[in-house]
Amino acid sequence: MAKVKNWQISREMEYPYDENRPKKQWSIVFDLNKCIACQTCSLACKTTWTSGKGQEYMFWNNVETKPYGSYPLAWDVRVLERLGHQEWEKKQPYYGKTIFEAAENHERAAHFAPEDKDWMYPNHGEDDCAGRVDKGDYISLQHDKWFFYLPRTCAHCTYPACLAACPRKAIYKRQEDGIVLIDQSRCKGYGECVKACPYKKSMYNAHTRISEKCIGCYPFVEQGYQPQCVTNCIGKIRIMGFINPPWKARENNPVDYLVHKTGLALPYYPQLGLEPNIYYIPPIHADREYLTQMFGPNVDQSISTYKKLKDDPVAQGLLVLMGCTDRIIHHFEVRSGIAYAFDEKGDEIVHVPVTEQMYSRPAFDEKFGTSRNNTP
Amino acid sequence: MKTTTLLLTILLMGEFAGAEISVKKVTGELSVNFMDQKLWSQALPDETIGLLAQPVVVPKPTKTETQKINVAAIHDGKWIVFRVRWNDAEMSEANKLATFSDAVALQFPVKNNDVPPPIMMGGKGDPVHLFHWKYQYQLDAKFGKKPINEIYPNMTTDMYPMEFKEKGNYKEATKDQRDSFVGGTAAGNPQSFPKSGVDEIFAEGFGSSAVSDSHLAKGYGEWKKGAWTVWIARPLSYDNGSKLLVGKGSHVAFAVWQGGKKEIGALKSLTMMWTPFFIQEK
Repeated sequence: MAKVKNWQISREMEYPYDENRPKKQWSIVFDLNKCIACQTCSLACKTTWTSGKGQEYMFWNNVETKPYGSYPLAWDVRVLERLGHQEWEKKQPYYGKTIFEAAENHERAAHFAPEDKDWMYPNHGEDDCAGRVDKGDYISLQHDKWFFYLPRTCAHCTYPACLAACPRKAIYKRQEDGIVLIDQSRCKGYGECVKACPYKKSMYNAHTRISEKCIGCYPFVEQGYQPQCVTNCIGKIRIMGFINPPWKARENNPVDYLVHKTGLALPYYPQLGLEPNIYYIPPIHADREYLTQMFGPNVDQSISTYKKLKDDPVAQGLLVLMGCTDRIIHHFEVRSGIAYAFDEKGDEIVHVPVTEQMYSRPAFDEKFGTSRNNTP
Repeated sequence: MKTTTLLLTILLMGEFAGAEISVKKVTGELSVNFMDQKLWSQALPDETIGLLAQPVVVPKPTKTETQKINVAAIHDGKWIVFRVRWNDAEMSEANKLATFSDAVALQFPVKNNDVPPPIMMGGKGDPVHLFHWKYQYQLDAKFGKKPINEIYPNMTTDMYPMEFKEKGNYKEATKDQRDSFVGGTAAGNPQSFPKSGVDEIFAEGFGSSAVSDSHLAKGYGEWKKGAWTVWIARPLSYDNGSKLLVGKGSHVAFAVWQGGKKEIGALKSLTMMWTPFFIQEK
């Protein structure tokens, strides 16, 4: 076992392979204050990649409702149960166990094995509120009746459990972009990766008899385009870019800005120890305790930063740039109320106003001799 | 740690040490009649060989599911057949997610050195030739590879890429075009194609196994009253593989998977020592 540095838990940890960070690391930031679970992302992914034989049940991208939804069933609860109660003090490294450290000597990672039935209820718990709405209830902030939507793809972790678990080394992490792939010619369908991944994003194909997973839309990424789930998001809640570790963070890189500079975006279940590369801006009205067990002790800080967004024109500009281009944004700039996105060469990709311009039109149109309807 | 494990296993295997298989010559066409009762009645009695839960590579089984295997073998000068028997409470097939097939594998050295290769699937430059029988492969051969809508009849699909119910003006897609949407098939992964009963595999160390293009070996298994009996027949000599010669000896190793106990890949019971065998001239 090697000792590797995991910045999300602020310490070194054990992993079966040496630390070998890729040149660039694929990552996505999601603003959970905006997700409406329209599932367009799930269908964009499915139409592109998982409409073949054996893939019928697969959602490489899925959106589940929290707290009562999950796909596959109870994936989060079951892995946390297996890991056991762990503590993480605010402003301290995580000194609890990761799934690699909690592993018994016959396994690579503490895990549970899903059954086929567990995958057959992707909408289980959808829109289920965390408490009953009774007569006389009214909205208060924080909401005491809450739920939120959690869209999830493979996290293309820095320390993948799937890669660690494969006894044939049939899973590899690309040096050029950090995308983790199952070699479709070498996999023998043992399913160790399906068991090991705590996020359950490795899936067995009963037609080809081998396992598959989200490929990070690498054919798009190689051409400089963001993944399908990102570009098709109707609510424009997502942005994909290349994240740097904190000691190399570049302030004008969109993902570095949201994760490292402002601390707005947090990894999910970082205590499991995989250094996942999908990051979430937490939903500001959901229960803090619930959010903390999922996103770690920096939740309060992230939410208070989000609430002060009106004082941060740069962050506002970046959030507005999300969903405005299908190309990967290398760096961005906000000046004089306009947000600019640039590619690697420094050429402008797109620019958008931070505040939508207001257009006033008179109630009666002289040219056509008709009234304008004020139809909302 | 590894040395201690190895020493322990050798001590434990001591109970069954000294097993040596004598392979009698029979007159018959074993490449066709490899299960023939009359031919098998001439075999020497079974040798009992002890197995151990795979102890070296993670994931390791937490217990030895199959503790011993009974082995006998006969040859006809051209083909050799091994008959292996072990206890398994249930027949297990794969197909559905998280289900695994009962299986057995025979491992032979490729190089006929005095010292056989490392027991755990050979070593670099010292390959092994494996014959892997799976109950699921036998079912494939008999009934064809089950399509997904038979494995999961209630699975919802509206259409598969390039498989149009009413193609209208579209040109019919070729098989290659349709297969490009199916990962394992497009990559030519042997796992994704219908199997014949026995896989021939080469390996140079664990994790390196690769299915051979050769499909000469035959196998058949019968499960009765809590025990499997499997016959695996193979040519004595392969040009680029295990070369067994009449009047000479070699070594064989065994591995058994109980699918019902979720055994697959490294989760198996196996022999940690090679069993010598001798191919008799008569």
